[in-house]
Parts: sequence; structure tokens; C-alpha cells
Amino acid sequence: MSHSIDGSRNSCALHGALQLIEAIDGVVPVVHSNSGCGFQHFLGVNRASGSGVACGSPPVSSSNVTEKHVVFGGSSRLREQLKNTVKVVDGDLYFIVSGCSTEMVGDDIPAMAKEGRDQSFPVVFANTPGFRGGVHHGYQLAARALIDQLPELRTTHPGTPGKLVNIWGIVPRQDPFWAGNLEEIGRLLEGIGVEPNLLVGNGQDSSAWHRVPQAALNLALSFWGEAPAERLAELYGTPSLVFGELPVGSNSGNLLRAVGEQLGFDPERTETFIQAEEIRLHRHLAALADTYFRAGFQREFVLVGERAQAAGIGTFLVRTLGLIPRGFVITDDLPDGQRELLPHAFGDIIREFGARLFFSEDRAEIAEIVRELKPGLVLGSALEEGVAREIGAPFLKLSFPLGDRIVLDRACAGYRGAATLIEDIGSALLAGSR
Amino acid sequence: MSLLKSRTPRAREKRIDTLNAWLGAAESTLHQFSGKEPEQRIRAFSQSAQDDLICALRLLGGVRNSVTIVHAPRGCAAASLWRHLQTGGGRWVVTNLDQRDTIMGADRKLRQAVTSAYRRYRPEVLFIVAGPVAAINNDDIQAVVDELRDELGVPIVPVFTSGFASRSAVSGYDIALHAIMKHLVGSGGEIARNEAVNLLSGAEGVADRLEAVRLLASLGIELNVLPDAAGVENFRQAAGARLSFSLDQDADNYLGIVLEEEYDVTAIEQPRPVGLRATGRWLLAAGEALGIESAARALHERESERVRRELGDFTLEGRRVYLALSPSTAFAVAELIEELGGELAGLSVSHLGRLQTAQLESLSSRHPALQIHVADGQPFEELNIVRRIAPDLYIGDGAHLGQLSRLGVPVVSLENSSLLGYEGALSVARRISAALKNRAFTEALAVAGTPYREGWLKRSPNWHIKKEVK
Repeated sequence: MSHSIDGSRNSCALHGALQLIEAIDGVVPVVHSNSGCGFQHFLGVNRASGSGVACGSPPVSSSNVTEKHVVFGGSSRLREQLKNTVKVVDGDLYFIVSGCSTEMVGDDIPAMAKEGRDQSFPVVFANTPGFRGGVHHGYQLAARALIDQLPELRTTHPGTPGKLVNIWGIVPRQDPFWAGNLEEIGRLLEGIGVEPNLLVGNGQDSSAWHRVPQAALNLALSFWGEAPAERLAELYGTPSLVFGELPVGSNSGNLLRAVGEQLGFDPERTETFIQAEEIRLHRHLAALADTYFRAGFQREFVLVGERAQAAGIGTFLVRTLGLIPRGFVITDDLPDGQRELLPHAFGDIIREFGARLFFSEDRAEIAEIVRELKPGLVLGSALEEGVAREIGAPFLKLSFPLGDRIVLDRACAGYRGAATLIEDIGSALLAGSR
Repeated sequence: MSLLKSRTPRAREKRIDTLNAWLGAAESTLHQFSGKEPEQRIRAFSQSAQDDLICALRLLGGVRNSVTIVHAPRGCAAASLWRHLQTGGGRWVVTNLDQRDTIMGADRKLRQAVTSAYRRYRPEVLFIVAGPVAAINNDDIQAVVDELRDELGVPIVPVFTSGFASRSAVSGYDIALHAIMKHLVGSGGEIARNEAVNLLSGAEGVADRLEAVRLLASLGIELNVLPDAAGVENFRQAAGARLSFSLDQDADNYLGIVLEEEYDVTAIEQPRPVGLRATGRWLLAAGEALGIESAARALHERESERVRRELGDFTLEGRRVYLALSPSTAFAVAELIEELGGELAGLSVSHLGRLQTAQLESLSSRHPALQIHVADGQPFEELNIVRRIAPDLYIGDGAHLGQLSRLGVPVVSLENSSLLGYEGALSVARRISAALKNRAFTEALAVAGTPYREGWLKRSPNWHIKKEVK
């Protein structure tokens, strides 16, 4: 049974599906729900993420069902909306997503999508009522719909055999650094000879999704990427690699080694590339040293964020930057049985330093935790800003929601992301020491 | 019969004939309201827009020392998160309804949420706001309220929004205000009279509220401000106040009606104090009602002299301006634009009902052919219209300015900026001046293009507005 949440940060399945859809160029979401569902997504997810809004407005197509449709059914309203969306909004794929009210009423979404396809509209659908789960689950539902339904639309976009790698599990805007992170991870993979299929952001369009079945490998960078990878293994026998955390700093080298090995690449070439990146990172560390000691970087910190983020960033902060982990609060709504499965390096840190580990998405509960641990540095979302101020700790906003921080293509993953992360943490510490 | 007897007030479209979809000249728009009941139109293609739930959450989030329980799946509380990020205030809890709850009901979960929120925060009041799932399921919120109000000894106010019962999002303000007055003040009891004047300020920006308070307080008026930043006591005090004076005859109208009909507190409604002339009229109306006319006039003269000095030779002469605003703001800003020498190029209002007929009449007499577009959001229509009109400036308060601006038109946003009174006039003039002085950003944006097909942008903008078949 789900619990009520104080100061909730993670939104619903419909919004998660929209996060994915809006990150793919040319894919037009058609929301079948009340008018406010898309608007809430715009306010509480897009605006809150700090990374802006692709179309510059709330969702561009929404059936806005009213009492009449709730009483008598809204399928015909969806039919009309879909037909007109194709005429009004420019796109090459129309993606119907449903909300709570139309699902409770029992509107037949698949039938409406099929009707659209029969008229040769490129249409896919996903049943995404908010009561089905959270924003991450919505991402999975939308990805699954694309994986399952796109092949029926029969367009092929060949990739290079043996080199194409699909990247899963970074939920657009829910990871505020999603676009920059994907770009950096893409850059690193390209560096060892992979053709990365980023799927979302920075000009990715439906052709990327048409290529998905041809990949040589599915790479899951969080728990939420495992389901799409598993589905593709089922359908096409594609192997997967579950990395389970954001690769930050030297851990990116481990990711590249694992991918290279899986694809049978020349390990020497991979190593040469990694070493060049390592040298660059260490040059930054050397340049930082003066400030590092002067500003007292070695704080005890608490990190509040999603598991992949906490594990990836946390590992870098401890293993490279020498900070002391006091506690981690994992905020994504992981299913039962998943919580204990921590990435190894992250688990080691927790044990070695006796850091505390919590799972919560409840603002008041998290504030209590931070208050009790009283660290010298807090990394979290805008919802932790108040408690960080209260305990007088320097604070860096890096998990959802960001609120008043803007992120366009800044990354905190990879080697370059590690450098910007150091910049941001350093700036927070220096600002806090005045 | 008492207004407050019913569970919710009537929706705007029924109560004051509010339209939500329309395009036509000012004259024919006015004609819509000349008969008994205007014809309702709907859209065959639509885009996401606000709803009553969002409006209610915005208003309730401003009530001091309260907690809002959003009785819904978690996505319905996204608007509360956004409000919090913007203002730093507002406490909310979402009951996080799941599939099981949609079948079995979730009274127990609601009870737990209310109880633990009360224990954690000890607020003066708790609001339970219903989302679509609770509305469709018909969860017995009232039973939970009745039970816990006695058990916890704190006012608990059920707010019966639904997300679909009204096409006018602003009905959510009415629903929230109705619930507050019904449950916090009630009817039939003895009301202690007091000397304060109610300043009705609902979901206003902080700067605007403070400007209004500054002006009225400098006239020595004892103010009771509500619902923004008000506590339980302010609502109770309001029922015994001398009179009510509103900042926005659209958002605050229903509260004024309740105070007048239920508690005999006269409500004075003036168009919003936007620009020098309207602010002067607004102050004078307050002065007249309270017998301090000459002080009000002196204040107005002093302040407007200051503003004129600061504005210097700022003028909108020769500039055609398109406005896309909520209705009471739109008519008020229209007057400001003309006051500054500009020309109106067209008007989009988020809704339009009988509250605005006087202003519509005045506008129609000045500009009978001026095009009036009624749409909450719906940027597909607005882009189509604005592209044809090609104004020199666009002033809006919607959520789609990031899209509209891709037409390359200079944009001023009033979503979050100060507008009211003398300070507001200065602030708007500064923003307009900057937008006209340097168009580099909007020109750069024009490269992005709009999300729409060329075929649509060439079509008549009211193509998808149809008469409702009942």
C-alpha cells in the first residue's frame, strides 16, 4: 500500500511518461485526461526541474475531458482530439497517454490508437494513470510502449552492427542534469568506438527509437532502465549491462571497460582513451589543491537524491574527492526488494565509513534526518535548502526539484561532469565560508 | 437560503455565464451577454490548461499556518510543489492514491494523512482538497472531516474540487473560498462587529498585495487582508468588518458576495488598480466609502506626480500591443496601454463572464472591431492570431510565453511581476521599455519555429471552436 507523502517531490506515472515523450523531437504527446493533468506536469515537473520546457508551454495536445465525458465516456472526444492533433501539431509520431479519470471511466485507449493507425496516423499509446505509480514508472511505461509498438509502424533506420548501444534509465528532467549527462556519457562511449543511442535530448528523434532493436547492447544506468533492457532481451535477445549508477569521474572508466569488454573491443584502445581522461581529471585536482585545503573540502556530507545519482556522485565524492559520507537519503520510489540492492562500490563506502542510509521521499522526514546528522555539507534538492540553512551547512542543489537553479547542458556525470561537480561543490563551500 | 448551505458554489459558467471558448469583435462579444444566457462553445482540439484543482491549491497554499492535504495520486500535488518552490511557503501532503485505492476507497489513508499532518505541524487549519480520483470515486471526505474535527479539535475544511466539473479553472477559487467561509466562519452565529476594512486579495503576487496595503494603510485604514497570507482569525474577523474592498473583481468576487449576502459586509468592487487613472479611481472609491475622500485624493496626487516624474517621456505612442491575460487584468492593462499612448492590437482573456460586462461595454464603445479571444492557454490559437496581427509588443500572464515568443514578438510577462498601484505602473513601464529597447533575445528565439503545422497557422484561428451540442 502506498503512503501519504509530506512535501512530495516525485510526480505521477502520466508525468513520467510525458518526461520521456517531450524529450524526443517530433514525438507529440496527446494527453487524454482533464485539462489540469498536463498543466500540473508543466508546473511541478518541467518548471521545477530547472532544465526548461522543450515546446515552451504545457503539453500541446490534451483532450481536456469534462463532467460529460466522465459520466458518458470520453473515447469519442479522444478520437476527435487525435484526428485534429495530427492536423494542428507538427510531428512524426503521436503518443496517446491517459490520465486517472479516463482510465477510471474505462475509455478504450488501445482501440482509439488502432483507429488512428488504421487511418495511417503514426500513433502509439500507453495507459499511464497517476494511480498506477510514480514518475519513474511512467518513464518505463512510455519506453515499453515505444519498444513494443514502434516496429508495427515499419520504418527502419539501420545502425552500425555490433557497435550500437541503447542507453536507458536516465529519466529526462527528473535527473536535472539528464541532457548534459547523456551527452557526456555519449562522448565517452564514442571515445572507445561505441555508437551511443542516447534516445532522448539534444535533437534525438524517433529515428533513434526505430534503431533500438538493432543495438548490440542495452546499457541500464539506473534501476529504472532495467525494465526496457529486459524487454529488449525478451524480444530480440539483446544482451544488457546493468551499471546501476551514474558514472562520475574515475568510475566512468569502469563503465567504459565493461562496455568495451562486452562488445569485444580492443582493451588497449579503451585504456588509452580512459587514461587521457584520467590525466585531465587529475590536472583539475592538482589545480584545486590549494583551494581544497584552504576551504576545508573534507566535510561530512549528506546526499539526498535518487539511488543512481547518490551512488555515482557519492562514490566520486568519497573515493576521489576525499569527503566523509555521513548519510544518504534515496528519494526514488524503488519497489520492495530493490532497496537493499546497492551498487558494490557504494555499499562498500557505506560500510567502511559507517554512513547512514535512508529511503524516503517525504520532505519532513528527510529534514529530520538532515537535522539529526548535522553534516558540514548538504547536497540535495530545493526541498532540502531550508534545513541546510537551519543547520548552517553549505548547500548544493543537484537533485529534483532544483527550483531556482538553471541547468541547460551542464553535466555531473562522466569526466567532464566530475569537473563541473567539483566547481559547484567548491563554489558552495567557498560561498558558505564567508 | 444561505449561500453556504450547498457543498460547492455553482460553477462559473452557470453562475455568471462564463465563456471559455470564443473569438469575435468586441461588439459581438458584448452582444453574447445581451440576452439571457450566452451560447457555450467548446473546442474540438484543445491543449492543457489550468483547472479548479490548480486554482484551489494556489489560493489555499497562501493561507497562513495551514496544511493542504491533496487527496489524490501524487501528480495532483505537482502544483503545490511549484507554488512552494516559488514562494517558499505552503505546506502540503499528498495521500498518494494508488490503483487499490481507486477500487476500495481511501478513507483510511486520508484519515492517517490528516492526523499525522496535524501532529507534525499543529496548524490552525487543515484543508482536504479532492482531486479527480476522489471525485469520481465519491470518497466520503465529509465523514473523515466530521470525525477528525472533533477528535483533533482543529478546523478541517473539505474542498470539493474535481478537475472536470467546471470548464472555468477560476471556479476553483470560488470552491476554496466557499469552503473556507462555510467551515471556518459558518452561518447563523453571532458575529462581532469590528472597525477593520477587508482587503480581498486572492492569489495575488506578494509585491502587488504589499503595494495595496501600503496605499490603504497610509490613509490610516485598518486592514484585514484575506485570503492571501490570512490566518483563521482573519476570515472570522472579515465577517464583522466595516466593508470589503477587492483587488481583483474576478478572483475575489465570490468572497465579496459571501461576505455581503451572508454577513452584511458591503463589498466594493472596482476595476483593478492598474496604471495611474485606475489606481486613482480605486483609491477614491475607498476614500468615499470611508469618508476620507480628500486624503485619498491628496495621496493619489502625490503618488502620481512622483510616478510621472519617474516615467519621464516614456510613451507607447505608435506601438500596437497585444494582451493575453486573465480578464480583470486584461481590461485594466488595456486602459494602462492607452494611458501610455499605445494602441490595442487585440485581446486574449482566459475566460469571460458577466463580471466583466461593464468593462467590455466600455472597451466595445471605444473599439467595436477589436478582436477578443477567449481561451485559457490554447497557444495554438493565440500564435495563429498573433502571427496575423504582428503586434509590436505582447503582454501576457500565461504559461506559454516561451512558445509565443518564438514568433519574434517582444514579450512582457505579468505572471510574476508587480503590476498594481503606483509601484506596479513603474515596474511594468520599465519592463515594457526594456522589451522594446532590445529585441535580441526574441529574435534569436524565432529561429526555433513553432510546434504547429503551417496548414494550421493559415487556417482561421477559430476553426476548432464549436457550439456545444447538448
